[in-house]
Amino acid sequence: MGKNSLASLQKIMMGYLLKGETIIEQSVVEQGNVSNQTRLNIYKNAYQARLKEVIDNDHPILGMYLGDDLFDEMVAGYIDYSPSSYTSLRDYANQLPLFLTKQKPFNQHPIISEIAQFERLLLDAFDAEDANRYTKDDLLKLSPSDWLALTFRFHPSVQLTSFEWNCVESWQALKKETAPDPAFKKSNNWLLWRNPERLTQFRSLSEEEVILIRMILNGDNFSALCESLYNNSNADDVSVLALNYINSWLDDGILRSFS
Amino acid sequence: MWVVRLVRNDQRGGALSSAVNNSLPEHFLGFGLGLRTDHFQEVIDSKPPVDWFEVVSENFMVNGGKPKHYLHSIREFYPMVMHGVSLSIGSTDPLNKAYLKQLKVLVNELQPEWVSDHLCWTGAHQVNSHDLLPMPYNNEALNHIVDRISHVQDYLGQPILMENVSSYITYVESEMTEWEFLNEVAKRSGCYILLDINNIYVSARNHNFSAQDYLNGISKDKVRQFHLAGHTDYGDYVIDTHDHDVADPVWALYKAALQRFGMMSTMIERDDNIPPLQDLITELNIAKTIAQDTLNYGIK
Repeated sequence: MGKNSLASLQKIMMGYLLKGETIIEQSVVEQGNVSNQTRLNIYKNAYQARLKEVIDNDHPILGMYLGDDLFDEMVAGYIDYSPSSYTSLRDYANQLPLFLTKQKPFNQHPIISEIAQFERLLLDAFDAEDANRYTKDDLLKLSPSDWLALTFRFHPSVQLTSFEWNCVESWQALKKETAPDPAFKKSNNWLLWRNPERLTQFRSLSEEEVILIRMILNGDNFSALCESLYNNSNADDVSVLALNYINSWLDDGILRSFS
Repeated sequence: MWVVRLVRNDQRGGALSSAVNNSLPEHFLGFGLGLRTDHFQEVIDSKPPVDWFEVVSENFMVNGGKPKHYLHSIREFYPMVMHGVSLSIGSTDPLNKAYLKQLKVLVNELQPEWVSDHLCWTGAHQVNSHDLLPMPYNNEALNHIVDRISHVQDYLGQPILMENVSSYITYVESEMTEWEFLNEVAKRSGCYILLDINNIYVSARNHNFSAQDYLNGISKDKVRQFHLAGHTDYGDYVIDTHDHDVADPVWALYKAALQRFGMMSTMIERDDNIPPLQDLITELNIAKTIAQDTLNYGIK
């Protein structure tokens, strides 16, 4: 066999790491007591161990939910399914929730993908962009004439999501090292964000609040929010209700700015 | 903050004192540690006696949150150098422009003393192995890497440091030694060298070459930093694991490196089985003492 070009050598080395192709052995010099297979295995083991460690660190509760054997099966499957195209391992498991919706036996239990998705959103909230937050003092500086056209923006860490199963409750139970309930269907909405102390938080949302948050994301102003509440709620005074929501968002630290 | 001061110890006539240049090089930062998540809060709270920190660039290529908060809080009190693992300078894939842009943004944010990465490739065909894979040491690879380093240096507006990696295989495609290759890369590209003493030891054991030959083959004026780290010894071979204390043979090689290259910015890398910060500082003091004794300096 002739000597490989650099490109060819890299191609066959990647073939070994990703698919176990052994042609690379012909490009390795025999040295001492250590076989070429042993030498190459050091690289393959490191490749797989490193990716497994990333998934383990990113998805500790998913690992508890699955147990060791299924977790190992998931990791092996994901490493085959999704070679990393990222420069940072931070993003390596981004496609894990999608993988879990496709791959047996995981796709037969949709809650598993939802738990993975919830953990990825926690990560996104953890290291999202920083931004100044609005406080109640800032709100008090507004003149009454500013209110109707007032629009809001959320802090970059805010994540709005919905699930079809009791995945968050299961995640919480395992976090407290208690057994989760069996999986059951339950449409539910969640808000995740990083608070001013840089801690990741989440809470459930009513349908009414979800509508308001989606309106804000669409750029609707305070007047439109009040109108929506007027049409969809039984509250006597929708402006008070709207202010209550705004106060809770200010308490949570999820509003970035008024404009 | 504790700052290293080195003064000539005239009372001690070390055998090597006449053989080395005892004036401190301008690029000497002192003795540093790798900044690790486990130690963030303690570093901020206690401002430990460490001269500088090395940060893994990719760990801070995030938009915000705790990682960036801690990084900038610590940067206020310590010099830093940036050490990357994903430049993949030897890959035949095109240079990753998005990565380089992120790197430059971080350089502008941190204003590090220097930026380093590894003389290796990490992936090809748009797949990243996230490992430091060895190059074949031949002219094709040499020309390829020199061109790419020049491009990176032009983009960053500064020379970078290239680190020797530990390796477990030698390709039949190699036509020169690793140190000849590294030296030529530095000479032709204008980059500097981050010499990892543990990696030299690990590769010397795995490939049965003389670590001293490696040191002797590297140009004295090209080295800007030393790395020290632990490894795992399996008898027939050694793996660079960064999960142990620095081993005695590596301390001995460190001494030999000091004898050849003089006083050098030195740091300890620990990436797994991370001990309390004080344990690493104690280990760093061993490096300092060896440097002091080897080069006949008093360190205050």
